[in-house]
Amino acid sequence: MGLPKRLVSAALIAFVGLSGTVHAEQVTLKFANWATAEGATRDGMEQVISAFEAENPDIKIESESIAFAEMARQLVLRLRSGNPPDVAQVAGNDTFALSSTGGLEPLQGYADKAFLDTLKPGAYEPLMVGEDLIAFPWNQAPAGLWYNKKLMEDAGLDPEDPPETIDELNEAMAAIREANPEVIVLGIDTTNRAFALQANWPWIRAFGADPVAAGGAESEEMQAYLGWLRDISEKGYIDPGRKIGEFRPLFAQDQVAFLWDQVLVQGVIQSTNGMSAEEFNAHYGVVPMPAGPGGKGYSFEGGHQLVMFRDSQHKEAAWKFMKYLATNEAAVKTYTIETNRSIPPAKSVGDPAVAELLDTPVIEAFSNDIIPTISPMPFGPEFAEYATVIMAGVQEAVTSDRPVADIASDIQNQIGN
Amino acid sequence: MPAHSKQASSRRAGGKAPFLHWMVLPTLLVLLAIIGYPVVSTVYLSFFEYNLLDFTPPEYLGLDNFAQMASDRIFWISLKNTLYYTGGTVLVSMLIGTAVALLLENLKGPVWTAVRALVVSPWAVPFVVVAFLFRFMYMQNGGIVNDILLDLGVIGNPVSWLNRADISLGAIIVANIWATTPFFFLLVSSALSGIPDAVLESARVDRAGLWSTIFHIKLPFLRNPLVVGSLLMVISNFNDFAKVWVMTQGGPGYATTTLVVYVYRMAFERFEIGYASALGLIWLLLLLLVSVFYIRLLWNRQND
Repeated sequence: MGLPKRLVSAALIAFVGLSGTVHAEQVTLKFANWATAEGATRDGMEQVISAFEAENPDIKIESESIAFAEMARQLVLRLRSGNPPDVAQVAGNDTFALSSTGGLEPLQGYADKAFLDTLKPGAYEPLMVGEDLIAFPWNQAPAGLWYNKKLMEDAGLDPEDPPETIDELNEAMAAIREANPEVIVLGIDTTNRAFALQANWPWIRAFGADPVAAGGAESEEMQAYLGWLRDISEKGYIDPGRKIGEFRPLFAQDQVAFLWDQVLVQGVIQSTNGMSAEEFNAHYGVVPMPAGPGGKGYSFEGGHQLVMFRDSQHKEAAWKFMKYLATNEAAVKTYTIETNRSIPPAKSVGDPAVAELLDTPVIEAFSNDIIPTISPMPFGPEFAEYATVIMAGVQEAVTSDRPVADIASDIQNQIGN
Repeated sequence: MPAHSKQASSRRAGGKAPFLHWMVLPTLLVLLAIIGYPVVSTVYLSFFEYNLLDFTPPEYLGLDNFAQMASDRIFWISLKNTLYYTGGTVLVSMLIGTAVALLLENLKGPVWTAVRALVVSPWAVPFVVVAFLFRFMYMQNGGIVNDILLDLGVIGNPVSWLNRADISLGAIIVANIWATTPFFFLLVSSALSGIPDAVLESARVDRAGLWSTIFHIKLPFLRNPLVVGSLLMVISNFNDFAKVWVMTQGGPGYATTTLVVYVYRMAFERFEIGYASALGLIWLLLLLLVSVFYIRLLWNRQND
């Protein structure tokens, strides 16, 4: 080959190479999340995003940090202004409120039946609205009744025999109060916010009440629930007005005996008081909610979901990212288990290191005993109203002497309105 | 040329040069965009059923939102709470601020300068920080307020200051008074320093006593600054969201729900923009009424 021909060939190769580089389009996904907004989860989330980008050089993730409490407002306003992200981290009623706008992309076209069957029973079903899968379960974070074995022992109770009914819980609380008047006997969130209704809902259901059903707010069962709360408040067992997160450091310091909280408690306690896993399991335990007058106890699902927006221009890339976050075992290990201290939705894991992380008494108790008791929530556009009204009633019950029947009647009138 | 003559002549110059009037046009346009548009939009939306979660067009309701408001128990509670919160804060902090300013007026030296700095310091603390400070101070378990009162024997058991319906609003008002008093202290201190020496000297010559000097000489000089200051504080406290939200989120029950908290819940938790706009309109009208009252007070004083 002569020099001119070689020069032409080299130029062609260079052109093809260059044009190849230029035309390999990199997609940028906007990912709205609170994981990178919170100090405790930022590093883990950023590691997972970097790992995803390294595996998928054609996809760049633009993480948008938004505070948990602001997420619904931001997303609704951005949907309204035609500027939603591609993917967002959501939880609780926000998922259903967003779905009611029609702005979410249904996911059943991306997650086929075979794939969904790799998830635990009950992991995705609550996220079906009609035929549509409105969100994908990222992690599970149900609530259980945590107990402090030392405080139980100090009160003459058997720490290996935690209460199984609300009557037994009442007796245990009385014994703990008598033995140690300084501690908060039961940590339960009674603030006026949507999350607090999520946390209270299983207790309401344990008393057999359904305040959003016709006449349910002023039913005898609802009044029994409000009456029980007033009783344990008057006896000083609960500390009204504290958010659930504010009980956790106290629980770590033996200042709370029972705590109605999510699976992440173990991680918070260990990072607060430096306990090893063995020490933690010797000191604390978790069981399902004690059975109420109806004979059952319940739990709520406080996990996080991932949603894709209908306006996204990169839906395939968005789904790839969502699937990676929720089911890639490295991502599950780094973020779901080690950072967020929650439970992955997959039935099984292949990596022995990940399986070992999930083989703990706490995860076992949640997986086997607590998750099956999860009670569906009345999520939807009305939930925020229910939450404000019902939790205002709960607060009145625990902080005033207004007759419980009047409070229940007020809740009924407002929900009715 | 005296100052007032100069001003008069420049006004005359402006009158002869009408283009100068147009110089305010950009400012007016900006004000129209950032104040006028939201107000007009609020008035318009207050006649509609408009939920942000519902992407169907808003439905015209006429006066239904206002009729609903009339029978809305929470609206009346929040209006009453707003009046207590605003009135209690402005009145008490004005009295304390004025009293402290009068007390410290003639005290000189580094110690009193330090005391003045201390009195003013709460004004430098951001409202959200004030709210968190008091939230922790008021806690039933481990709160410093309970610790002190228990040590002094004032209370027998820790009080849940922010979680008792009968005292929670009062507890927030106390926190707000702590944050607002320095404003009145500064205002009155500066007004006191502006009283001409000749006037005070005449009072002394006339052998006016301490109380007589305060009531007949100083307070009349303080009247206009206090009217303007209290108007500013009424507007500021009427709109105060941060302290109530951080300390109680309007609870327990609705015991500390103020209008601004109620509007926030309606607009940004329930996304009921139509009803929230109707609430906002009434809120705006109430503030306008208060402002008109204050302005007339000032106007009458100037005419006197």
